[in-house]
Amino acid sequence: MKTLIQAELYKLMHQRMTYFALAAILVIEGIVLVSAYFQGSAILDILLDNLRESFYFQGTLLNGHLMVYLILNSLWFHLPLILMIVSAGLFTTEHKERTLQMMMQQPISKTHFIISKYLVAVVFSLVVIVLLMVSSMMISYSLFGTGDLVVYLGTLNFFQSAEAFERIVLAYLCGSLTVIFFSVVSVTLAIWVRDTTIAWIVSAFFLIISNLLLKVDLGIDWFDNYFFVKLNDTWQLLFNTEIDWSHIYFNNALLVTYTVLFMFIGVMIFRRRDVA
Amino acid sequence: MLPQWMCAQDIDPVLLQAKARLDSVQSFEAGLKLSVDISFVNMSPKQATMTYTKGEPTTFSSEDFVLIPKRGLDFSLSEIFEYPFMTVDRGYEVIFGRPCKLLNIIPLDKRADFSIATLGVDTVNYSVMKSEISTKKDGTYEVLLSYGQSNDIIPGRVEVSFEIERIRIPLQYMGKEIEVDKSAMKMEEVKRGRIILDIEPALVELVK
Amino acid sequence: MILTGHALSKQYGDLQALDHVDVSCESGRIYGLLGANGAGKTTLFRILLGLTKPDHGQVIINSKRKKPLGGIIEKPAAYDYLSARQNLRLFSSVQGAPKDDNTISERLESVGLPLDRHDPVRNFSMGMKQRLGIAIAMLNDPECLVLDEPFSGLDPLGIDSLLRLIRNLAFEHSISVIVSSHIVDQLARLCDELLVLRSGKLVNRGITQNIIVACTDSYTICGSGLSNYDWGNYEASIAGQCVTVTADAEGIGELIEQLTKQGLRISSCSPNINMSKLFDSKLV
Repeated sequence: MKTLIQAELYKLMHQRMTYFALAAILVIEGIVLVSAYFQGSAILDILLDNLRESFYFQGTLLNGHLMVYLILNSLWFHLPLILMIVSAGLFTTEHKERTLQMMMQQPISKTHFIISKYLVAVVFSLVVIVLLMVSSMMISYSLFGTGDLVVYLGTLNFFQSAEAFERIVLAYLCGSLTVIFFSVVSVTLAIWVRDTTIAWIVSAFFLIISNLLLKVDLGIDWFDNYFFVKLNDTWQLLFNTEIDWSHIYFNNALLVTYTVLFMFIGVMIFRRRDVA
Repeated sequence: MLPQWMCAQDIDPVLLQAKARLDSVQSFEAGLKLSVDISFVNMSPKQATMTYTKGEPTTFSSEDFVLIPKRGLDFSLSEIFEYPFMTVDRGYEVIFGRPCKLLNIIPLDKRADFSIATLGVDTVNYSVMKSEISTKKDGTYEVLLSYGQSNDIIPGRVEVSFEIERIRIPLQYMGKEIEVDKSAMKMEEVKRGRIILDIEPALVELVK
Repeated sequence: MILTGHALSKQYGDLQALDHVDVSCESGRIYGLLGANGAGKTTLFRILLGLTKPDHGQVIINSKRKKPLGGIIEKPAAYDYLSARQNLRLFSSVQGAPKDDNTISERLESVGLPLDRHDPVRNFSMGMKQRLGIAIAMLNDPECLVLDEPFSGLDPLGIDSLLRLIRNLAFEHSISVIVSSHIVDQLARLCDELLVLRSGKLVNRGITQNIIVACTDSYTICGSGLSNYDWGNYEASIAGQCVTVTADAEGIGELIEQLTKQGLRISSCSPNINMSKLFDSKLV
């Protein structure tokens, strides 16, 4: 399977689609960074308005940590969408170009072949998250420096610089599980529908519905606590003053379970279906 | 030298002693540990440095982001003594184990920032232990002062309590969708907040 | 037999794509699968290559090689953003075949592809893509090659070149080759045996020349002076320098001999296959 994974990575790195996707993600990051800077002051004014009556502020909150946090906060639609397109394309392009048939004529395991596609989707998603994290931090910290981070989650939570950095890094890692989940789902959807355009539409639909349902509280225990749509903003729990680690671990473990489940479904569909 | 109007006024001598004592400090620099106690703010204690020079605004510096209270750090009582006032004896109270005389300060000049103030002054060491000042524009704030040694001029701990409005965010900014408890918000719209400053003075220079 | 397909059947909805088709292949022989579009050729090949499961029947492969079968289904498929060399290296790596530069160069040369083309396959002509497809199919040295309409989209030169390549592969490597086409002339030139498929059923099977002879009612003879020749009892239809004559395999030989004795120069003699006979009757 190692050779299959290497082959998939090789193909991914040689396709223009990959670099278009990376460029799109970096451009979006740049736009978010610029808007974060201009909006940052306004946001801080609103958040700190009441405190301003009783306090002077020493130090600035409009710093690199805030910029990185705002980038982090706004990426959970655009980033999964682009990654879903790339991940679905790993399968649909081969199906359309019939290289899938050509591959299946070689003496390789069908199961290993499709699992290697899933693994490459996961690896690519992780690489993109790391790239995003490193680039946003490099640009933000070099332009805006560091300092305290303020986050509003019902209360104003202030974090000192070192702690803010740790939490942000953990948030990116935690959020990467969400991104990986969506990437895996898109591969499964691609295996199911096979057609490139339909796969993109269905993947986007899945993402939109997940984002909409995230904000809905039905008051039903299994939905509010265990359904996968509710697990996708677990990273935000890292910005409560006291981090509820057990809740975070539980949510992430559950999300990984859902990810594996979707992968399993995709593998089963692929194995049972005729290639052509 | 006391201002002219003070000489002509009937100001409680305990207060005058306290003022003289405070005026003996020419300058000092102190390390501050600021701990904020406001229900909707979670901030770990911060370190800052405070520099006081008589007759000049007090300055603060810190590597972190810190909240410096606008009120309660007027160690020289300059705000109270800026305009003519009268004192009214309100009796005695024990504050932090020290016998204190309670005095109402009533400004006689409408230019004064405050409408009434209550001070608790230690009758042995002439230290201000407590003050409650009702400002005209910024509500009422209380300051509790405690001292390391009983004869210290600069307090070791200052607690400033004040009114603060509940934070209201009209849109979802920078965070998870929160459950908005509207009825609770209405009841708690104006809250009391507190900031505690632990002061470690150094480089104290007295007036020669 | 390297490959045997027994009573293979496949249905897609109401369409019976294959109906109890038997096929068997020996090494070193070239088999032609003839059928119109939609006859079931591609479905049969997909089943033989394991891409589709038959509803009934089984495929038996008598080979110990890692990759017993190689093939091209419909158009040749390769990663068009990679070069030919990169494609071969990629396909070699996933199946554990040697992928060093020398081996890849040999593979390219064996199918007549240039060694100095480094541009992506999307720039290749159809003929070159077919050759690359065959090179990929030949990785790990299969014992049987399945080629689905390999001449489709090729010009006459390309067809000729590919015919020679397939013949060389079969004879030099002793592999069995099954080639499908809907053009009988292409298969007639290439194949040892012919299988005729119609509407999913095998209607004819046998030695290619025997089938052609049995289904040929007339021949087209081309040459100089034919239009002035007295054809006597032969039914002849003249068109320019060519004449279509009704005759069987024995008769045409005698006729050619007569024409030659008369001093007429014959440039070609092609059988005209009766398609109805070919697709309707069983001849072995």
